[in-house]
Amino acid sequence: MIEPVNVALGLAALSAVLSVIATYLAVSDRDLLRALIFSALQSTAYAIIFLVLMAPDIVLVYVPVAVGIYPAVVLALIKRVGRFEGGEGGE
Amino acid sequence: MASRYLIAASIALVVVSLSFAVAYGALGTAVPLENIRSLARAYVTLAYAPWNRTLTAMSPEAVTSIVWDFRGVDTFFETTVLFGAIIGTVTLFRGIKPSARIGEGLSIIARSAAAVTAPMILAVAAAIALHGHLTPGGGFQGGATAAVVALVILVTFSLGYLVSGLSKERALMLRSAGLLGIAAVALIPLILGGVVFQNQAKELSQFSYPAYIGGALTSGSLLFYNLFESLAVAAGLTLTIMLLLSPHEVVEEAVRGEEHERV
Amino acid sequence: MSEFEASLSLIVLFSLFANTAIALYGVFSKPNLVKKLISMTILSDTANAFAIVIGYRAWPSPEESPVPPVLTNISGGYAAVQELVQKSVDPFPQALVLTAVVIGLAVTIFLASIILHYHRTHGTVEMVVSG
Repeated sequence: MIEPVNVALGLAALSAVLSVIATYLAVSDRDLLRALIFSALQSTAYAIIFLVLMAPDIVLVYVPVAVGIYPAVVLALIKRVGRFEGGEGGE
Repeated sequence: MASRYLIAASIALVVVSLSFAVAYGALGTAVPLENIRSLARAYVTLAYAPWNRTLTAMSPEAVTSIVWDFRGVDTFFETTVLFGAIIGTVTLFRGIKPSARIGEGLSIIARSAAAVTAPMILAVAAAIALHGHLTPGGGFQGGATAAVVALVILVTFSLGYLVSGLSKERALMLRSAGLLGIAAVALIPLILGGVVFQNQAKELSQFSYPAYIGGALTSGSLLFYNLFESLAVAAGLTLTIMLLLSPHEVVEEAVRGEEHERV
Repeated sequence: MSEFEASLSLIVLFSLFANTAIALYGVFSKPNLVKKLISMTILSDTANAFAIVIGYRAWPSPEESPVPPVLTNISGGYAAVQELVQKSVDPFPQALVLTAVVIGLAVTIFLASIILHYHRTHGTVEMVVSG
Protein backbone atom coordinates (compact mmCIF):
# COMPACT_ATOMS: atom_id res chain seq x y z
CA MET A 1 0.00 0.00 0.00
CA ILE A 2 1.49 3.30 -1.13
CA GLU A 3 0.58 6.14 1.18
CA PRO A 4 -0.92 9.33 -0.34
CA VAL A 5 1.86 11.45 1.13
CA ASN A 6 4.45 9.55 -0.89
CA VAL A 7 2.37 9.80 -4.07
CA ALA A 8 2.07 13.59 -3.74
CA LEU A 9 5.68 14.23 -2.75
CA GLY A 10 6.87 11.71 -5.34
CA LEU A 11 5.02 13.65 -8.03
CA ALA A 12 6.71 16.83 -6.82
CA ALA A 13 10.14 15.16 -6.80
CA LEU A 14 9.58 13.76 -10.31
CA SER A 15 8.59 17.22 -11.59
CA ALA A 16 11.62 18.73 -9.88
CA VAL A 17 13.99 16.28 -11.61
CA LEU A 18 12.21 16.96 -14.92
CA SER A 19 12.64 20.69 -14.37
CA VAL A 20 16.40 20.25 -13.82
CA ILE A 21 16.71 18.35 -17.13
CA ALA A 22 14.59 20.98 -18.93
CA THR A 23 16.63 23.83 -17.44
CA TYR A 24 19.91 22.20 -18.46
CA LEU A 25 18.66 21.70 -22.03
CA ALA A 26 17.25 25.24 -22.16
CA VAL A 27 20.57 26.77 -21.14
CA SER A 28 22.81 24.51 -23.22
CA ASP A 29 20.86 24.35 -26.51
CA ARG A 30 22.17 26.70 -29.21
CA ASP A 31 18.78 26.80 -30.96
CA LEU A 32 16.88 29.56 -29.15
CA LEU A 33 13.46 28.27 -30.24
CA ARG A 34 14.14 24.85 -28.69
CA ALA A 35 15.56 26.58 -25.60
CA LEU A 36 12.29 28.49 -25.28
CA ILE A 37 10.24 25.29 -25.54
CA PHE A 38 12.42 23.63 -22.87
CA SER A 39 11.91 26.70 -20.70
CA ALA A 40 8.13 26.34 -21.07
CA LEU A 41 8.52 22.66 -20.10
CA GLN A 42 10.39 23.74 -16.96
CA SER A 43 7.53 26.15 -16.18
CA THR A 44 5.01 23.31 -16.51
CA ALA A 45 7.05 21.20 -14.08
CA TYR A 46 7.08 24.13 -11.64
CA ALA A 47 3.30 24.48 -11.98
CA ILE A 48 2.94 20.82 -10.90
CA ILE A 49 5.28 21.47 -7.95
CA PHE A 50 3.19 24.50 -6.90
CA LEU A 51 0.03 22.39 -7.14
CA VAL A 52 1.51 19.71 -4.85
CA LEU A 53 2.73 22.40 -2.44
CA MET A 54 -0.89 23.58 -2.01
CA ALA A 55 -0.60 26.96 -3.72
CA PRO A 56 -3.63 27.13 -6.07
CA ASP A 57 -3.37 30.93 -6.35
CA ILE A 58 0.13 30.66 -7.75
CA VAL A 59 -0.87 27.92 -10.20
CA LEU A 60 -3.71 30.11 -11.51
CA VAL A 61 -1.37 33.03 -12.17
CA TYR A 62 1.62 30.93 -13.25
CA VAL A 63 -0.05 28.89 -15.99
CA PRO A 64 -1.30 31.83 -18.14
CA VAL A 65 1.86 33.84 -17.54
CA ALA A 66 4.64 31.27 -17.89
CA VAL A 67 3.02 28.97 -20.46
CA GLY A 68 0.93 31.54 -22.36
CA ILE A 69 2.23 35.09 -22.53
CA TYR A 70 5.94 34.74 -21.79
CA PRO A 71 6.73 32.28 -24.65
CA ALA A 72 4.79 34.51 -27.04
CA VAL A 73 6.89 37.53 -26.06
CA VAL A 74 10.21 35.69 -26.40
CA LEU A 75 8.98 34.12 -29.66
CA ALA A 76 8.40 37.61 -31.08
CA LEU A 77 11.93 38.50 -29.96
CA ILE A 78 13.49 35.37 -31.55
CA LYS A 79 11.68 36.08 -34.82
CA ARG A 80 13.49 39.41 -35.07
CA VAL A 81 16.96 38.64 -33.74
CA GLY A 82 17.50 35.25 -35.38
CA ARG A 83 16.98 31.70 -34.26
CA PHE A 84 20.51 30.49 -33.60
CA GLU A 85 22.98 31.57 -30.97
CA GLY A 86 26.23 32.86 -32.44
CA GLY A 87 24.70 33.26 -35.92
CA GLU A 88 24.45 36.49 -37.86
CA GLY A 89 20.68 36.24 -37.47
CA GLY A 90 17.97 38.77 -38.06
CA GLU A 91 15.52 39.16 -40.86
CA MET B 1 40.19 31.19 -19.55
CA ALA B 2 40.59 32.77 -16.11
CA SER B 3 37.15 34.40 -16.42
CA ARG B 4 35.56 30.95 -16.82
CA TYR B 5 37.01 29.80 -13.45
CA LEU B 6 35.84 33.06 -11.89
CA ILE B 7 32.32 32.44 -13.18
CA ALA B 8 32.32 28.87 -11.83
CA ALA B 9 33.64 29.97 -8.44
CA SER B 10 31.12 32.78 -8.07
CA ILE B 11 28.19 30.52 -9.04
CA ALA B 12 29.33 27.92 -6.51
CA LEU B 13 29.64 30.58 -3.79
CA VAL B 14 26.18 32.04 -4.49
CA VAL B 15 24.47 28.63 -4.61
CA VAL B 16 26.16 27.37 -1.43
CA SER B 17 25.32 30.51 0.55
CA LEU B 18 21.76 30.48 -0.79
CA SER B 19 21.28 26.84 0.14
CA PHE B 20 22.65 27.53 3.62
CA ALA B 21 20.28 30.48 4.05
CA VAL B 22 17.23 28.57 2.85
CA ALA B 23 17.96 25.34 4.70
CA TYR B 24 18.92 26.76 8.09
CA GLY B 25 17.54 30.29 8.07
CA ALA B 26 14.08 29.66 6.68
CA LEU B 27 13.12 25.98 6.72
CA GLY B 28 14.76 24.97 9.99
CA THR B 29 16.65 21.73 10.36
CA ALA B 30 13.67 19.54 9.42
CA VAL B 31 12.35 19.73 5.84
CA PRO B 32 9.47 20.59 5.69
CA LEU B 33 8.09 22.29 8.83
CA GLU B 34 5.69 20.52 11.18
CA ASN B 35 3.77 23.73 11.95
CA ILE B 36 3.22 27.09 10.30
CA ARG B 37 4.76 30.24 11.77
CA SER B 38 2.87 32.42 14.25
CA LEU B 39 2.50 35.24 11.70
CA ALA B 40 0.83 32.83 9.24
CA ARG B 41 -1.33 31.51 12.07
CA ALA B 42 -2.54 35.06 12.78
CA TYR B 43 -3.28 35.71 9.10
CA VAL B 44 -5.25 32.48 8.62
CA THR B 45 -7.17 33.02 11.88
CA LEU B 46 -8.09 36.62 11.11
CA ALA B 47 -8.85 36.31 7.37
CA TYR B 48 -12.49 35.41 8.07
CA ALA B 49 -13.53 36.18 11.65
CA PRO B 50 -16.98 37.81 12.00
CA TRP B 51 -16.59 37.48 15.80
CA ASN B 52 -13.56 39.80 15.72
CA ARG B 53 -14.78 42.58 13.46
CA THR B 54 -12.05 45.10 14.29
CA LEU B 55 -9.18 42.89 13.04
CA THR B 56 -10.60 40.72 10.28
CA ALA B 57 -10.63 41.16 6.49
CA MET B 58 -13.93 39.24 6.15
CA SER B 59 -12.62 37.05 3.32
CA PRO B 60 -12.33 33.25 3.52
CA GLU B 61 -9.36 33.49 1.12
CA ALA B 62 -6.26 34.18 3.22
CA VAL B 63 -4.01 34.99 0.23
CA THR B 64 -6.33 37.64 -1.19
CA SER B 65 -6.88 39.19 2.23
CA ILE B 66 -3.10 39.46 2.72
CA VAL B 67 -2.63 40.90 -0.77
CA TRP B 68 -5.30 43.61 -0.53
CA ASP B 69 -5.96 44.12 3.19
CA PHE B 70 -3.27 43.09 5.67
CA ARG B 71 -0.41 44.13 3.41
CA GLY B 72 -2.29 46.34 0.94
CA VAL B 73 0.37 49.03 0.72
CA ASP B 74 2.94 46.40 -0.34
CA THR B 75 0.70 45.36 -3.19
CA PHE B 76 0.08 48.98 -4.14
CA PHE B 77 3.80 49.58 -4.69
CA GLU B 78 4.24 46.21 -6.41
CA THR B 79 1.49 47.30 -8.80
CA THR B 80 3.43 50.53 -9.28
CA VAL B 81 6.51 48.51 -10.34
CA LEU B 82 4.36 46.51 -12.76
CA PHE B 83 3.01 49.62 -14.43
CA GLY B 84 6.41 51.30 -14.42
CA ALA B 85 7.62 48.42 -16.59
CA ILE B 86 4.56 48.66 -18.86
CA ILE B 87 4.95 52.43 -19.23
CA GLY B 88 8.63 51.87 -20.07
CA THR B 89 7.65 49.48 -22.87
CA VAL B 90 5.01 51.86 -24.22
CA THR B 91 7.58 54.68 -24.16
CA LEU B 92 10.15 52.61 -26.07
CA PHE B 93 7.52 51.94 -28.75
CA ARG B 94 6.12 55.48 -28.83
CA GLY B 95 4.83 56.74 -32.16
CA ILE B 96 3.90 53.26 -33.36
CA LYS B 97 0.35 52.83 -34.55
CA PRO B 98 -0.64 49.17 -34.88
CA SER B 99 -2.51 49.17 -38.20
CA ALA B 100 -6.15 48.11 -38.18
CA ARG B 101 -5.73 46.29 -41.51
CA ILE B 102 -7.32 42.89 -40.98
CA GLY B 103 -5.01 40.13 -42.16
CA GLU B 104 -5.79 36.58 -43.18
CA GLY B 105 -4.95 34.81 -39.95
CA LEU B 106 -4.76 31.03 -39.65
CA SER B 107 -6.98 28.43 -41.32
CA ILE B 108 -10.75 28.28 -40.86
CA ILE B 109 -10.38 25.33 -38.45
CA ALA B 110 -8.07 27.26 -36.11
CA ARG B 111 -10.25 30.37 -36.33
CA SER B 112 -13.45 28.44 -35.50
CA ALA B 113 -11.75 26.75 -32.54
CA ALA B 114 -10.50 30.12 -31.29
CA ALA B 115 -13.95 31.69 -31.73
CA VAL B 116 -15.39 28.97 -29.49
CA THR B 117 -12.65 28.91 -26.85
CA ALA B 118 -11.92 32.66 -26.52
CA PRO B 119 -15.28 33.56 -24.88
CA MET B 120 -14.88 30.55 -22.59
CA ILE B 121 -11.40 31.67 -21.47
CA LEU B 122 -12.80 35.17 -20.93
CA ALA B 123 -15.62 33.74 -18.77
CA VAL B 124 -13.10 31.76 -16.72
CA ALA B 125 -10.98 34.89 -16.30
CA ALA B 126 -13.99 36.87 -15.09
CA ALA B 127 -14.92 34.08 -12.66
CA ILE B 128 -11.34 33.93 -11.32
CA ALA B 129 -11.22 37.69 -10.83
CA LEU B 130 -14.68 38.27 -9.36
CA HIS B 131 -14.62 35.26 -7.01
CA GLY B 132 -11.11 36.13 -5.88
CA HIS B 133 -12.23 36.86 -2.33
CA LEU B 134 -14.02 33.49 -1.98
CA THR B 135 -11.98 30.94 -3.93
CA PRO B 136 -8.33 30.79 -5.11
CA GLY B 137 -7.83 33.54 -7.64
CA GLY B 138 -7.99 37.30 -7.76
CA GLY B 139 -7.19 40.34 -9.84
CA PHE B 140 -3.73 39.32 -11.03
CA GLN B 141 -4.79 35.80 -12.02
CA GLY B 142 -7.96 36.94 -13.78
CA GLY B 143 -6.12 39.72 -15.62
CA ALA B 144 -3.33 37.44 -16.83
CA THR B 145 -5.89 34.87 -18.03
CA ALA B 146 -7.82 37.57 -19.89
CA ALA B 147 -4.60 38.73 -21.60
CA VAL B 148 -4.23 35.17 -22.99
CA VAL B 149 -7.55 35.70 -24.83
CA ALA B 150 -6.06 38.73 -26.60
CA LEU B 151 -3.00 36.64 -27.47
CA VAL B 152 -5.15 33.82 -28.92
CA ILE B 153 -7.14 36.30 -31.03
CA LEU B 154 -3.92 38.00 -32.19
CA VAL B 155 -2.33 34.74 -33.31
CA THR B 156 -5.35 33.11 -34.97
CA PHE B 157 -7.17 36.11 -36.48
CA SER B 158 -4.33 38.69 -36.98
CA LEU B 159 -3.19 41.84 -35.25
CA GLY B 160 -5.54 44.06 -37.27
CA TYR B 161 -8.58 42.13 -36.05
CA LEU B 162 -7.55 42.70 -32.43
CA VAL B 163 -6.70 46.38 -33.03
CA SER B 164 -10.04 47.03 -34.78
CA GLY B 165 -11.78 45.93 -31.58
CA LEU B 166 -9.32 47.20 -28.97
CA SER B 167 -7.12 50.04 -30.22
CA LYS B 168 -3.94 51.17 -28.48
CA GLU B 169 -5.66 54.23 -27.06
CA ARG B 170 -8.59 52.21 -25.78
CA ALA B 171 -6.28 49.72 -24.05
CA LEU B 172 -4.38 52.61 -22.44
CA MET B 173 -7.70 54.07 -21.33
CA LEU B 174 -8.89 50.78 -19.80
CA ARG B 175 -5.56 50.39 -17.99
CA SER B 176 -5.78 53.93 -16.61
CA ALA B 177 -9.39 53.35 -15.57
CA GLY B 178 -8.31 50.28 -13.63
CA LEU B 179 -5.49 52.15 -11.90
CA LEU B 180 -7.80 55.08 -11.08
CA GLY B 181 -10.31 52.62 -9.64
CA ILE B 182 -7.63 51.11 -7.36
CA ALA B 183 -6.59 54.61 -6.24
CA ALA B 184 -10.21 55.61 -5.62
CA VAL B 185 -10.99 52.50 -3.56
CA ALA B 186 -7.81 53.13 -1.54
CA LEU B 187 -8.52 56.83 -0.97
CA ILE B 188 -12.30 56.82 -0.32
CA PRO B 189 -11.79 55.73 3.35
CA LEU B 190 -9.40 58.67 3.84
CA ILE B 191 -12.03 61.13 2.63
CA LEU B 192 -14.76 59.58 4.77
CA GLY B 193 -12.75 59.67 7.98
CA GLY B 194 -10.80 56.41 7.86
CA VAL B 195 -7.21 55.56 6.91
CA VAL B 196 -5.68 54.72 3.53
CA PHE B 197 -6.33 51.12 2.36
CA GLN B 198 -8.87 50.54 5.10
CA ASN B 199 -11.28 47.70 4.54
CA GLN B 200 -13.23 46.87 7.72
CA ALA B 201 -13.76 49.10 10.75
CA LYS B 202 -10.84 49.29 13.20
CA GLU B 203 -10.70 50.46 16.85
CA LEU B 204 -9.60 53.98 16.01
CA SER B 205 -11.33 54.60 12.67
CA GLN B 206 -14.88 53.47 12.22
CA PHE B 207 -15.09 53.57 8.39
CA SER B 208 -16.03 50.23 6.88
CA TYR B 209 -16.79 48.93 3.39
CA PRO B 210 -19.91 46.72 3.46
CA ALA B 211 -18.89 43.11 4.03
CA TYR B 212 -22.18 41.81 2.62
CA ILE B 213 -24.09 43.28 -0.33
CA GLY B 214 -27.60 41.91 -0.69
CA GLY B 215 -26.78 38.96 1.53
CA ALA B 216 -23.74 37.88 -0.56
CA LEU B 217 -20.28 37.97 1.00
CA THR B 218 -18.27 40.61 -0.91
CA SER B 219 -15.48 41.13 1.66
CA GLY B 220 -15.64 44.94 1.60
CA SER B 221 -13.00 46.49 -0.63
CA LEU B 222 -11.46 43.21 -1.82
CA LEU B 223 -14.09 42.69 -4.55
CA PHE B 224 -13.46 46.19 -5.94
CA TYR B 225 -9.68 45.83 -5.82
CA ASN B 226 -9.86 42.50 -7.66
CA LEU B 227 -12.20 43.97 -10.28
CA PHE B 228 -10.03 47.02 -11.02
CA GLU B 229 -6.75 45.12 -10.79
CA SER B 230 -7.90 42.51 -13.33
CA LEU B 231 -8.98 45.32 -15.67
CA ALA B 232 -5.62 47.08 -15.34
CA VAL B 233 -3.49 43.92 -15.69
CA ALA B 234 -5.48 42.60 -18.68
CA ALA B 235 -5.37 45.92 -20.54
CA GLY B 236 -1.71 46.60 -19.72
CA LEU B 237 -0.46 43.16 -20.79
CA THR B 238 -2.63 43.23 -23.95
CA LEU B 239 -1.17 46.62 -24.83
CA THR B 240 2.43 45.49 -24.46
CA ILE B 241 1.80 42.26 -26.41
CA MET B 242 0.17 44.32 -29.17
CA LEU B 243 3.18 46.63 -29.38
CA LEU B 244 5.78 43.85 -29.19
CA LEU B 245 4.12 41.76 -31.92
CA SER B 246 3.41 44.65 -34.30
CA PRO B 247 5.03 44.17 -37.75
CA HIS B 248 8.66 45.02 -38.32
CA GLU B 249 8.03 47.62 -41.06
CA VAL B 250 5.66 49.68 -38.91
CA VAL B 251 8.21 49.83 -36.09
CA GLU B 252 11.08 50.69 -38.47
CA GLU B 253 9.05 53.47 -40.04
CA ALA B 254 8.13 55.00 -36.69
CA VAL B 255 11.74 54.91 -35.45
CA ARG B 256 13.12 56.32 -38.73
CA GLY B 257 10.54 59.12 -38.75
CA GLU B 258 11.61 60.07 -35.25
CA GLU B 259 15.28 60.23 -36.24
CA HIS B 260 14.40 62.49 -39.21
CA GLU B 261 12.56 64.82 -36.87
CA ARG B 262 15.53 65.02 -34.54
CA VAL B 263 17.88 65.94 -37.43
CA MET C 1 7.82 12.33 9.26
CA SER C 2 9.30 9.25 7.63
CA GLU C 3 12.76 8.95 6.10
CA PHE C 4 11.33 8.45 2.62
CA GLU C 5 9.14 11.55 2.87
CA ALA C 6 12.08 13.65 4.01
CA SER C 7 14.27 12.42 1.16
CA LEU C 8 11.54 13.24 -1.39
CA SER C 9 11.37 16.80 -0.02
CA LEU C 10 15.15 17.03 -0.22
CA ILE C 11 15.06 15.96 -3.90
CA VAL C 12 12.71 18.89 -4.62
CA LEU C 13 14.93 21.29 -2.67
CA PHE C 14 18.21 20.19 -4.27
CA SER C 15 16.65 20.24 -7.73
CA LEU C 16 15.81 23.88 -7.11
CA PHE C 17 19.43 24.52 -6.06
CA ALA C 18 20.64 22.84 -9.24
CA ASN C 19 18.27 24.99 -11.30
CA THR C 20 19.62 28.11 -9.59
CA ALA C 21 23.18 27.13 -10.47
CA ILE C 22 22.38 26.27 -14.11
CA ALA C 23 20.34 29.46 -14.62
CA LEU C 24 23.09 31.60 -13.04
CA TYR C 25 25.62 29.95 -15.37
CA GLY C 26 23.38 30.85 -18.32
CA VAL C 27 23.05 34.48 -17.19
CA PHE C 28 26.79 34.86 -16.59
CA SER C 29 28.49 33.03 -19.42
CA LYS C 30 26.19 32.90 -22.45
CA PRO C 31 26.94 35.77 -24.85
CA ASN C 32 23.48 35.84 -26.45
CA LEU C 33 21.08 38.37 -24.88
CA VAL C 34 17.97 36.27 -25.62
CA LYS C 35 19.62 33.28 -23.91
CA LYS C 36 20.43 35.52 -20.97
CA LEU C 37 16.75 36.57 -20.84
CA ILE C 38 15.54 32.95 -20.88
CA SER C 39 18.03 32.02 -18.12
CA MET C 40 16.94 35.01 -16.06
CA THR C 41 13.27 34.03 -16.16
CA ILE C 42 14.25 30.51 -15.03
CA LEU C 43 16.23 32.09 -12.18
CA SER C 44 13.30 34.25 -11.05
CA ASP C 45 10.90 31.30 -11.30
CA THR C 46 13.25 29.30 -9.08
CA ALA C 47 13.41 32.12 -6.53
CA ASN C 48 9.60 32.13 -6.45
CA ALA C 49 9.58 28.35 -6.00
CA PHE C 50 11.92 28.72 -3.00
CA ALA C 51 9.45 31.10 -1.37
CA ILE C 52 6.61 28.59 -1.88
CA VAL C 53 8.74 25.76 -0.46
CA ILE C 54 9.40 27.86 2.65
CA GLY C 55 5.64 28.21 3.17
CA TYR C 56 4.95 24.47 2.88
CA ARG C 57 4.48 22.20 5.88
CA ALA C 58 4.60 18.50 6.63
CA TRP C 59 1.47 16.39 6.29
CA PRO C 60 -0.55 16.17 9.52
CA SER C 61 -0.83 12.39 8.94
CA PRO C 62 0.16 10.14 5.99
CA GLU C 63 -3.45 10.03 4.74
CA GLU C 64 -4.36 13.67 5.28
CA SER C 65 -2.75 16.43 3.23
CA PRO C 66 -2.29 20.05 4.29
CA VAL C 67 -4.88 22.32 2.66
CA PRO C 68 -4.61 25.64 0.79
CA PRO C 69 -5.24 28.64 3.07
CA VAL C 70 -8.86 28.96 1.96
CA LEU C 71 -11.78 28.55 4.34
CA THR C 72 -14.32 26.32 2.59
CA ASN C 73 -16.80 25.95 5.44
CA ILE C 74 -17.87 29.58 5.98
CA SER C 75 -20.83 28.77 8.22
CA GLY C 76 -18.71 26.54 10.47
CA GLY C 77 -17.87 29.35 12.88
CA TYR C 78 -14.78 29.53 15.08
CA ALA C 79 -14.25 25.76 15.14
CA ALA C 80 -13.90 25.62 11.33
CA VAL C 81 -11.25 28.37 11.40
CA GLN C 82 -9.30 26.56 14.12
CA GLU C 83 -9.44 23.34 12.10
CA LEU C 84 -8.12 25.25 9.05
CA VAL C 85 -5.21 26.66 11.09
CA GLN C 86 -4.26 23.10 12.08
CA LYS C 87 -3.96 21.99 8.44
CA SER C 88 -3.32 25.08 6.28
CA VAL C 89 -0.02 26.01 4.62
CA ASP C 90 1.58 29.45 5.10
CA PRO C 91 -0.34 31.99 2.95
CA PHE C 92 2.19 34.81 3.24
CA PRO C 93 4.88 33.62 0.72
CA GLN C 94 2.06 32.84 -1.72
CA ALA C 95 0.77 36.41 -1.47
CA LEU C 96 4.26 37.80 -2.18
CA VAL C 97 4.96 35.40 -5.08
CA LEU C 98 1.59 36.20 -6.64
CA THR C 99 2.60 39.77 -7.45
CA ALA C 100 6.21 38.78 -8.14
CA VAL C 101 5.13 36.53 -11.03
CA VAL C 102 3.13 39.28 -12.73
CA ILE C 103 5.87 41.86 -12.15
CA GLY C 104 8.42 39.39 -13.52
CA LEU C 105 6.35 39.13 -16.68
CA ALA C 106 6.19 42.92 -17.07
CA VAL C 107 9.96 43.21 -16.54
CA THR C 108 10.49 40.43 -19.12
CA ILE C 109 8.41 42.37 -21.64
CA PHE C 110 10.42 45.52 -20.87
CA LEU C 111 13.77 43.70 -21.31
CA ALA C 112 12.48 42.13 -24.54
CA SER C 113 11.70 45.55 -25.99
CA ILE C 114 15.13 46.84 -24.91
CA ILE C 115 16.79 43.85 -26.66
CA LEU C 116 14.71 44.58 -29.77
CA HIS C 117 15.94 48.17 -29.83
CA TYR C 118 19.52 47.01 -29.23
CA HIS C 119 19.24 44.68 -32.21
CA ARG C 120 17.82 47.48 -34.34
CA THR C 121 20.72 49.83 -33.63
CA HIS C 122 23.62 47.34 -33.46
CA GLY C 123 22.42 44.56 -35.75
CA THR C 124 23.36 41.80 -33.31
CA VAL C 125 22.51 40.49 -29.85
CA GLU C 126 25.83 38.75 -29.17
CA MET C 127 27.81 40.23 -26.29
CA VAL C 128 31.30 39.14 -27.36
CA VAL C 129 34.23 41.01 -25.84
CA SER C 130 37.11 41.00 -28.31
CA GLY C 131 40.59 40.06 -27.18
